[in-house]
Amino acid sequence: MKTGVSRRNVLGKLGAAFAGIMTATAAKTAKAAVQKVFVSSGAPKGYDPTKHKWLMAIDINKCIGCGLCVEACKKENNVPEGPFFRTWIERYVIPKPKPGSFTTRTEAIVDSPNGGMHGFPEPPVPVGEIEQSFFVPKLCNLCEHSPCVQVCPVGATFDTPDGAVLIDPNYCIGCGFCIQACPYGCRFLNPVTKTAEKCTLCYHRITRGLKPACVEVCPSEARIFGDLKNPVPDDPIKKFYENNRVQVLKPHLGTEPRVSYAGMDKEVR
Amino acid sequence: MPPQIVRLVLLTITIVGSYLVARFFLTPSSFGRYGWYRGEALEELSSRPRSFAGKKACEECHSDECLKLSKAEHHGLSCEGCHGVGQAHADNPDIKIDIRTFSECARCHEANPSRPKWLKQISTKTHYPGQKCTECHVPHQPQEVP
Amino acid sequence: MTEITNTVIEVLPRFEGYVYPNEAGPHPLWGFLIVLYPYITGLVAGAFIMASLVRVFKVRELEPVYRLALLTALSFLLCATLPLLFHLGHPERCLEIMMTPHFSSPMAMFGFVYAWYLMAVLLLELWFDYRQDFVRWAKVTPGLKGALYHALTVGVTDVSPAAVALDNKLGWILSIIGIPSAFLLHGYVGFIFGSIKANPWWGNVLMPIIFILSAVVSGIALCVFNYMVLTWIRRRPLDVRCLDAMGMFLFYALVVDAAVEGLDWLHRVYSAEEGFRVLQYMAREKLFYTLSIGQATIGTLLPVLLLGSLQLIRRSVPELVRKRMYFGSAFMVLVGVLAMRWNVVIGGQLFSKSLRGVMGYKLEFAGVEGWLMGAVLLSLPFIILTVCIKLFLSESLPVTEAAHAAGDPRLEPEEVVTT
Repeated sequence: MKTGVSRRNVLGKLGAAFAGIMTATAAKTAKAAVQKVFVSSGAPKGYDPTKHKWLMAIDINKCIGCGLCVEACKKENNVPEGPFFRTWIERYVIPKPKPGSFTTRTEAIVDSPNGGMHGFPEPPVPVGEIEQSFFVPKLCNLCEHSPCVQVCPVGATFDTPDGAVLIDPNYCIGCGFCIQACPYGCRFLNPVTKTAEKCTLCYHRITRGLKPACVEVCPSEARIFGDLKNPVPDDPIKKFYENNRVQVLKPHLGTEPRVSYAGMDKEVR
Repeated sequence: MPPQIVRLVLLTITIVGSYLVARFFLTPSSFGRYGWYRGEALEELSSRPRSFAGKKACEECHSDECLKLSKAEHHGLSCEGCHGVGQAHADNPDIKIDIRTFSECARCHEANPSRPKWLKQISTKTHYPGQKCTECHVPHQPQEVP
Repeated sequence: MTEITNTVIEVLPRFEGYVYPNEAGPHPLWGFLIVLYPYITGLVAGAFIMASLVRVFKVRELEPVYRLALLTALSFLLCATLPLLFHLGHPERCLEIMMTPHFSSPMAMFGFVYAWYLMAVLLLELWFDYRQDFVRWAKVTPGLKGALYHALTVGVTDVSPAAVALDNKLGWILSIIGIPSAFLLHGYVGFIFGSIKANPWWGNVLMPIIFILSAVVSGIALCVFNYMVLTWIRRRPLDVRCLDAMGMFLFYALVVDAAVEGLDWLHRVYSAEEGFRVLQYMAREKLFYTLSIGQATIGTLLPVLLLGSLQLIRRSVPELVRKRMYFGSAFMVLVGVLAMRWNVVIGGQLFSKSLRGVMGYKLEFAGVEGWLMGAVLLSLPFIILTVCIKLFLSESLPVTEAAHAAGDPRLEPEEVVTT
């Protein structure tokens, strides 16, 4: 009785395995065919992600708060209207310390009306009472140890070999874990596609030799962009690091952002 | 072996086996090409359409304007920053860029205490109110007078 | 135009201070559904621990609730994934978690921990416990129900003493495996929140431990609640000895839980790390009702006082009053633990990660993340439990020796302690 059961079992399993292998081969062939059609449908020719390392840097001293980058990003990436930003500009207004208080730096008043897309209104403090004021463009910090990638349950967000941190919109399940894990508030759940979204460094542009949309339109060269593996003569990224003392956002979290800021104040976070 | 154990072992094999089979079929083929993600996603993301053509594309037809701009103070500006998105126009020159998407001078030059000191700023309320900027300034050559 | 948008933003009372633009959406990303998810999972883990007190630690007084606790755990476990599934942006892609699990993600492990706990622990333990009953019930029950019992035997109809002894032994082993598994199931839920270093309200090593302890508390409370409701519906006498034992375990679990949560707060206040000010403001203003009243007073202080006093003066309290005190405490604990989950999940999203501002949240009635959906999801396990009780704890079924040995609320309590 027992041997009969096991023999039947073994035979059944062998048959199942054989059928499985046959279907698997067919499925693999079909998949490969689909993939071929897809790849020839417009992916850039000859782009090898392992031969590039893209990076952006921000010079706060140069940002004039015009909001062109925010607007360009929304247009280029079809970012929905409302509180959804792949990049945005924050305005920091640090009031003068009250006379006799003997404090050195008062808490900054920060705002970002509509992400700074349409510029900034009059500051919340009279001009005479402002000690310091500046704009800080924010974007994905391209962390070396990205907490968002670490927590994604399905591998829908990832560090690419060429230095971007991307989200696969056709694989993201929309759980929102990465949005919670990003310390910089750079991610949002797209209300239309129901997937997480963030700055891609305009991956569809940089793979074709174009600059990201925000860098393209920035009138004051506050956003510096380049390829570490293919430096151009007089490379802007190289120059940026040679000429500035740089800082990253929230360094204590150990995410090691690759996006650095020049001219940053302690109030920025 | 006791019948309970036999059933359980069979059940376990069935469940684990069907999981492995399902996994084989449901894992995307390009998964793991570069890392723990769909390698195809890189191609998909890089093949998205663009709205901004880039300065190089503008230069192909408007090289004279670009040359003038490159010698003036506004040399660092990109065309589409002021003139609006141009990919559609670059693909088909018959499609004109909507003039309403142009940026105004005040967008950058309106005085704001948060703006860096090196930037030339004016207040549109006190600086010749009611007049157009272009009456006195040439956007491509800000130093010249029309 | 800018001025108009600014005034509109200022008029809305949803934000104070500065929040990152992406955080300025109308609702927190994780709403009421994600509050229910750790709540339900916690009830599962707690009810299982409660059952293993009988099986592993041989607490004989608790035998009347052994099967009820296991069935409770099963009913809630079957619903544990639903809130998660409904809140996904793409529920149809949920299988990806099993197909390409990202091993560094605490959420990816959920599929496996859940499957392990459901299939390798809970269902198996129930099966070993019920198998000989299934065999006998299949013989005496006609129709569909009988067929169901027959199917549930999975063809193993051997009820010889040796086979039954093996069942018991395997069930006992499973219980032992089950305790760490239950801790794993819920500790990992705590780790989902505790691993988020970006959020000072969540990123905390104590989070898994707090979650496990509050799970044990809520699970015992749920068993008290279910047992009392079930006997009341069936108009059966309550085993007060069993109730006293559950009350005792509830009290000690509650004390340990309160101590660890207090330790967590002490550490937060004393170390006063970055963001402490915004957390303090949030706890005082935004979470006042759920934290100070819901979690601390209703969920912890009052039950500790009620149950604690019963530990001291149990013999002088009349039985009826005692029952009411147990029921009240259990209910308050259940509400308090729900408030605790709310405080963790919603509280962690009520302040900006810029640590410069706070957001508001108003629970809606309709919608996926609304009251109604939450109420449906919370009553669903009770509906499943009712079906389970009708099928597996039915009074019309013959009482077998196994049921006797394993304890069964259908049985009359052998002796009712009267004091």
